[in-house]
Formats: sequence, structure tokens, C-alpha cells
Amino acid sequence: MTAPSATVRPELHADGPLLDVADLHTTFSTAAGTLHAVGGVSLQLARGQTLGIVGESGSGKTILTRSIMGLLPADAKVSGSVRFNGRETVDASEADRRALWGPGIALVFQDPMTSLNPVMRVGTQVIEGMRVHLGLSRSEARTRAVALLRSVGIPEPQRRMRQYPHELSGGMRQRVMIAIALACDPLLLLADEPTTALDVTVQAQILDLLASVQRGRSMAMILVTHDLGVVAGRTDAVAVMYAGRIVEYAPTRTLFANVRMPYTEALLRSIPRLDQPSHARLAAIPSRAPTLIEPPPGCAFAPRCPYAQEQCRTETPVLRSDGDPDHTFACWFPVGAVSTRTNGASS
Amino acid sequence: MTGLQHLRPASDTLLRAEHLEVEFSVGRGQVVHAVSDVSLDLVRGETLGLVGESGCGKSTTGRALMQLPAPTRGRVMFDGHELTELTGAALRAVRPRLQMIFQDPISSLNPRRRIGSIVAEGLDIWKRGTAAERNAKVDEVLDAVGLDPETVRNRKPHQFSGGQCQRISIARAVITEPEVIVCDEPVSALDVSVQAQILNLLEDMKARYGLTLVFIAHDLAVVKHVSDRVMVMYLGKVCEVGSPDALYAAPRHPYTAALLTSIPVPDASVRPGDHPVLTGELPSPIKPPSGCRFRTRCPRAEERCALEEPELVPVSITHRGDDGAADDGDQADHYVACHFPLS
Repeated sequence: MTAPSATVRPELHADGPLLDVADLHTTFSTAAGTLHAVGGVSLQLARGQTLGIVGESGSGKTILTRSIMGLLPADAKVSGSVRFNGRETVDASEADRRALWGPGIALVFQDPMTSLNPVMRVGTQVIEGMRVHLGLSRSEARTRAVALLRSVGIPEPQRRMRQYPHELSGGMRQRVMIAIALACDPLLLLADEPTTALDVTVQAQILDLLASVQRGRSMAMILVTHDLGVVAGRTDAVAVMYAGRIVEYAPTRTLFANVRMPYTEALLRSIPRLDQPSHARLAAIPSRAPTLIEPPPGCAFAPRCPYAQEQCRTETPVLRSDGDPDHTFACWFPVGAVSTRTNGASS
Repeated sequence: MTGLQHLRPASDTLLRAEHLEVEFSVGRGQVVHAVSDVSLDLVRGETLGLVGESGCGKSTTGRALMQLPAPTRGRVMFDGHELTELTGAALRAVRPRLQMIFQDPISSLNPRRRIGSIVAEGLDIWKRGTAAERNAKVDEVLDAVGLDPETVRNRKPHQFSGGQCQRISIARAVITEPEVIVCDEPVSALDVSVQAQILNLLEDMKARYGLTLVFIAHDLAVVKHVSDRVMVMYLGKVCEVGSPDALYAAPRHPYTAALLTSIPVPDASVRPGDHPVLTGELPSPIKPPSGCRFRTRCPRAEERCALEEPELVPVSITHRGDDGAADDGDQADHYVACHFPLS
């Protein structure tokens, strides 16, 4: 499975990370007050690296990826900095931002059922980006599209090009979405819950596919998911989000071997695991995530946290490290003990 | 024929379904074979996990048990009644003893009605007790599912989160004091932290009200957690049945094995991609493959798999230990429908 090579790839900025997000805030004005969907996120991503962003519904992970891409509704207010390939994009014009999409950043959406245009043939949707961004002729784009569809594991690509989305299964539609995202050979692929709507065996196929195209192109990727299992084996670093902020950020192996943030610990414990006997009691997290409208001071997880103390309810913790500078967490009273899953750090 | 060897003696079971078939007409004389010859049984107090991917017929099987709609062929026995023979008032009289919980907690509650009336509906229909007794019962079940009756009773579904709505659905299901509840993907729309709350709640409800559960889900880890017996389905057929510990530790059907290896493990030391995942697409249920329905995607398939349908047989007979000795009397509860099972 070799993918078609790049024809136009933006000039690579020599030094610095490919993506550098600093103190990014995204807010929405609602009737009930200002909604802080993303409340000060900083992260960096080098070329060819994969970052996993993990969080539950409403943690701000989707709005964060949309903010990075500049794909937000008009009422969203974004502040802070997003430097992509050395260029600031937060205050870029609509035209500059559009020029970035395709060859710069591409997005794979969560729901392959509703993200494709139901009244356009698959082929037309795959070649659209190449025609606009790469200036290819219709026949050149078609040739490339067939190769692309084949490279993402779609059998009989010529016939699929003429079909409509409803004629394809969910897994096949997600492959088409990935082909569209890869069409202009992006430097950064944002995959927003790319497998959530899919069955588990199809999920494994799609995640393997993303990993193989990424290796082949040394493309950077942000994998957004609610499933800690999905990021565990397939990312270089993980950022755990809660209530619009990153609460723990570390290289993947470090994170799973040595969890510091109580929320991450609670999330890991609440997942039913195959290696537990049946009817084992799950460690549920009580209550639910707070509202993001005018959040109270202090740590957002404090009301659900078993270790919370007075300081947690008054002062908001910022990301810090102790010892390992690559492993940061936003907690006044971090989980101290080294996890028993020591094999996570070795092997 | 898929066989009935995995069923327990009829006298021991509360609910028993034999040779269930559900077909849907899709026009032009074509028929979708959603469920084909599925047999299952439930001992009182047991939880049966039905697991499989989209299109395997697990939800349709659950609904066929409830006669919603009744199966095309086959029979369902419930506590001495043959549900598939009952109609009209006789069937209605049995319905309060069988309840259902649905996947989407928000859209399965009427948005225009208050929680109190949604939960009380089963009692109101059957006019059980006086109004005061019914109210007391509503308060009791709301309290049992962890909601405060005073604050909840007069609100409407949109004022609650998904997890809370699922608690309300559970309250609505248990209020008629049913014996069997079919839970159709009750936690798949919920976040993991809330999912754990609801799974724990279902275990509590089962103990408190002496329930027998059919638990339908696509998540094998969730199913293992709640089930006493697990049934794996693929394209309308049963592949494998067994106690969760036996079935997960040593899956015998190649499909079960593929499902298990596809699950992402929340542990960074486990690298995915070391094992082949399933390739190809689910075949059409309009023209399912001959013989074993999994053969088109099965790495072990041979000619026989296309010609002859495998029957569910006890694992110890198909696969005996190296010494050939059968551990008689101590046979594990584990059945597989495969000509060439894994060892």
C-alpha cells in the first residue's frame, strides 16, 4: 500500500516544532454567560509525531482541534497563539487559513455517516481538494484519487469513485474521509474521534491504516479520543483534558506507567478491563463534569476528586512537573505512588 | 441447524428461546435474514451477555424475545407461557414481567412529560394500588436508582444528563417489578466515568429486585463485567457461548478471537498491530454465505466451511487435552460453532 507522493507541500520551516499552541482560549457567548470551551491550552508537536488528546464529552477536545484548524463558528472568540509551521494562524485572514487547509492541516471527522455529502459521488468529493489546493486537472486528480482510495484499503476504487456515500459501509466511508484528508498530503492530520462510530474490528483496521499512512509520509497527527485504550499503543505523547484544560501531559509510556493526576487515575480505573473477573465492582467517578459557563475558581475536578482539599477549591492548579520535565500535571496533590503496572515503562 | 446443546433443561430456565428466526422484507422479494436459528435460555437471576458487531442480530434477538416484533419463526417460552402463541390481552398481561432499557437514554424518554409520570406509567396502565401507593412506589424506585425524588419528579428529560436519563429509564423498567429486563446497549452512549456508575447501578438493581438480565452490547469488556454467560453473535448466528471467564481466557471461535484482539488495551506496554485484524467487509444479510457465515473472513476457513453449517457443540468434545482424557462431570460451560476451532 503505497500512497501517491506529494506534489505540492508547503515549505517546511526549518526550526521549531511543526505546531506550537500557547495559552489558547476559545469562548462562546451564550444566553447563560460566557462558555469557556478551551481555557488556556499549550502544546507542541514535532513533525512525524503523534499526540493523543483524551477527554470525555464536554472536555473541550473537539473545540481545541477546531481552534487549531481555525474551523469554528463565527460566534467563537479565540485568543492566544497557534503557530503552525512557523506562522501564526489565530489572527490569519480567512483566505490564508483556507490556503493552510489541505496541504497544511487536514481533518478527519468523527462521524463518517454525516460528514460526506450524500448527493455527491465519492470520487467528486475526493478530487475536490486536489483541484482547489494543488491545481490539478480533472484527469490528474482522478488518477491520484484512485491510487489514494486503493492506498486506504478500498477495493475496486474505480467503481467506488462512481458510488454515493450511502452505498458504502461505515468503515468504507471513514476510509473515504481519510483519503480526502490525505489527498493534499498534509503536514498535520487532525483525527477527531475517527473510530468512535465504528465497530471494534473496523476500528482496529482504521487505526492501523492511520499509523501506516503516517509512517509513510512522516506526517504529524493529533488523535482525539475518549478511549484511553486507543491512545495507549498508538501515540508518542498524551494530553488528558478536563473541563477545557489539559490536566496531564506526558510521553505515552510515562503517563501509563506513572499517572500523577487523580482524574487520569480515576478514568483508567473506571474502564472495564478484559483481565478483570466478571462482576468486579467498577470504580466509578461520582457525579459528572462541571459546566463550562462561568466556572468557579479552583481545580475543576475537585468536586469529584477523592484527594481534594481546601486549596483545590480556591486556587486553580497550573501544569507543573516534579522531577521529569516532560511529565506535567495540574494538581496540588498529585498521585505519588508509582503505578503497579511497571511493565509500562520497560519492555 | 445451529443446535440446542448449549441450552439447559427447560425446567430450570425462566426464559427459553428455540430456533428464533427474524426476517425483514426489503422489497423486490428480497429478505434480510437478521436472526437465523438462534436459541438461548436464561436461568432465574442470571445475566446473559449478547455481544457482536453492528448487524450481528443481537438487538433483533433481544426484541424478538420481547415479541417486539415477534420472531418470524421459532418459539419463546417464559415461565410456562409460550409467548409466541399469546396474542392480545394474554400477551399484554405478561408484558409487565418483561421490560426493556434502550441505548439512547435521552430520546427514549418522552420530552414533553415529567419524570414522575414517565416512571409511573407502567403502574398507571395497570392501575396498581391507589394513587398514593403509586406515588410512593415512584419515589422508592427513583431513590433506588440514585435520584432525589423531590427534585426530580416534576422535571422534564431535557433537564438531565445522559447518565441521569439512563437512571430514569432503569427506574421506569423496574417499577412494574419485572422478572426479565432486556438491556439494549444501555451504556454505549455514555462517557466511561458515567458508564461505570450505570454498570454498578444495574448490578445493584439486579440484586435488589432479583432480576434476570439480557445484556446486549458491542463492548466485550463491558459484557464480561456484567455477565454470567456470554453469547457471541455474527451475522445472525451464534458463534460461541460460555461462561465469561472460560470464553475470554480461551476463545475457540476465530471470530471471538478476532474481536478480542481488536480491543485497544489502556496500557502503553501493549503494542497493537502485532496480530492480524479481520479483513474484508460484513457480507450482506440478504444473501448470507452458505455453511458457516464467518467463512468469507475467516483465516481458518476450508472447503467444508462452505458446505456444512457448524453446530454449537461443547468445547471439551471438539477439543480434548493432549492426553485425551475427558474431565467428566466437570465440563466447562463453553460451546462453539466451528469446524476448525482454535485450541
